[in-house]
Amino acid sequence: MGLLYLAVSTAFFLGGFLFALAMLRSGQRRPAANFAVMGAGFLFQCLFLSERGDLHGRCPITNGPEVLIFIGWSLVIMYFVVGKAFRLSLLGLFTAPIVFSFQLLALAWLALSDPGARPPDSMDPWLEMHAATSLLAYGAFGLAAVAGLMYFAQDRQLKSRKPGRLSRHLPPIRYLIDALVRLLVVGQILITIGIASAFFMEQRPSALHFGASGAVWLIYLILLLVQRFRPLVPRTLSGSAVVAFVIAVVTLFAL
Amino acid sequence: MSIFCLGVNHKTAPVEVRERLAFPERSVPGSLDEIRSIEGIDEAVVLSTCNRVEIYGAGTELDQLADQVSDYLLAHFGIEPGQVEFYRHTAEDAAHHLFEVASGLDSMVLGETEIFGQVKKAYATAQEKGATARRLNKLFQQSFRIGKLVRSSTRIQQGATSVGAVAVDLAETIFGHLGDCRVMIVGAGEMSRTTAQSLLSRGARSIIVSNRSHDRAEDLAAELGGSALRFDEWEDALHEVDIVISSTSAPHAVIRSETIERAMPRRKGLSLLLIDIAVPRDIEDEVDRIPNVYLYNIDNLQEIADEGRNRREKQIAVCREVIRVALEDRGIEALSEPEGQRKKKDERARAGAPNQSTAAEGRPLTNP
Repeated sequence: MGLLYLAVSTAFFLGGFLFALAMLRSGQRRPAANFAVMGAGFLFQCLFLSERGDLHGRCPITNGPEVLIFIGWSLVIMYFVVGKAFRLSLLGLFTAPIVFSFQLLALAWLALSDPGARPPDSMDPWLEMHAATSLLAYGAFGLAAVAGLMYFAQDRQLKSRKPGRLSRHLPPIRYLIDALVRLLVVGQILITIGIASAFFMEQRPSALHFGASGAVWLIYLILLLVQRFRPLVPRTLSGSAVVAFVIAVVTLFAL
Repeated sequence: MSIFCLGVNHKTAPVEVRERLAFPERSVPGSLDEIRSIEGIDEAVVLSTCNRVEIYGAGTELDQLADQVSDYLLAHFGIEPGQVEFYRHTAEDAAHHLFEVASGLDSMVLGETEIFGQVKKAYATAQEKGATARRLNKLFQQSFRIGKLVRSSTRIQQGATSVGAVAVDLAETIFGHLGDCRVMIVGAGEMSRTTAQSLLSRGARSIIVSNRSHDRAEDLAAELGGSALRFDEWEDALHEVDIVISSTSAPHAVIRSETIERAMPRRKGLSLLLIDIAVPRDIEDEVDRIPNVYLYNIDNLQEIADEGRNRREKQIAVCREVIRVALEDRGIEALSEPEGQRKKKDERARAGAPNQSTAAEGRPLTNP
């Protein structure tokens, strides 16, 4: 059933993206419908992760595909929290294709070779805490990158001096940058908790793992400190958020 | 159809005529009584806005009633016959006209939304006065439904249609709510004033006016509720404002790219919107290459406004189709029949006799 849940979830995110695109083209706004489609995708994500959690007897982030799906799941959680709080319309248009891509890759991966159950030798709550908060942090960083991409789209529209339909539907520049910064802060808090938890784990991660996680943590810390004391122009901040997230995801998989 | 409409609007009468026919709000109830005292008029609504004065009525012998209402208006406002030409609509044309008015299709700014509230208010006033009954109640309630339907299912409201509205849209696209936005006017021209007023009406926080003539700057600042700045000081204030509207009569660029480049680091990452309304342009085009700065000149604004107008105009046919389909679905025949004949029809229906239409009952509103 797990792969079926994942397939249905993936289909909903593709549908969510296509729906948002169709609404954009027709000039209509249906934020409730958009939320509903993303909600359905999220529900089936939860069902998949729940089944995998039962299978492993622990938080289902035991292999590459599951990590991808968990990051997608945390992206969607952040979308629900941030989208409503900041009234960021069209976030679904940009978030859904990323989640769809992650899940499609994970689906293909699992369909080809599912490593199966990996129950832990022993339960370590600090391990669960480390893994879960770190990946939630990646969700926040991912959504910050999405806000950065939306900034680029809006900036390009405005610089063209002929802002079109997309511009009317994208959030204002200031809101995008505010949301981006808050997401970076949330992500940094979560990853700090995640790294701190690692020090209490029964079986500590390798030096390489610590180094990579620390590097990601440092990159985002530097970005936030620079933004706090020498605010960057939005273009630089947005580009940095996107690049930092790509680095973060690459290091995660390199580990 | 036992309904008529008589009036003037921005297309048929200049403002000098319309202002003479405008009903002060407090006089409307009394005027409704006077209009209904005309023999044959059972119901009446007065719609009086800055761009139209219309009387909607229900009764029999519509053309005669329209003449009498016309005479009443001329007498009431002391206007000589021949000084104003009223348009008149009767039967289903009157209904269609009201639906188009409520949908914003007959407005000076196509698709504007204020008229909807104005029609509602006119109807509410008449209803409170007891000046409406079945026919006008049905007509106006139908107009509200159709007005909402047109606005929600078409793009008639989308797109700014004036330079000021475009400037506001751009500002909101960059800054969101304008409550924290500070505006600076460089050169106190008329276009600057109207653009700044548009921004203020949408909540812009403050206005600074700078002009070669400081007296003129002070006058405009006072009018807009802002402050004046000497012309040799505006550069120092540049980093503190979010929107600059430039409209000087200088023959050369007044705002150079190096001036903006100096100011931007002090803005701590905040964007800057520059609106250059002057001809020749006040702001060097190179400014647009500076990150986080958005420069729009008068041509850009006009182009966007024209596009907005064109988009709305393309929606007119769509809106009319929405109105047509809505009327088909609901069946507007009830409005087509004078009350007496409707009662006869009902009686015949109860008795099992077939309905029989005559010329006096009016045409159906839609084609079969």
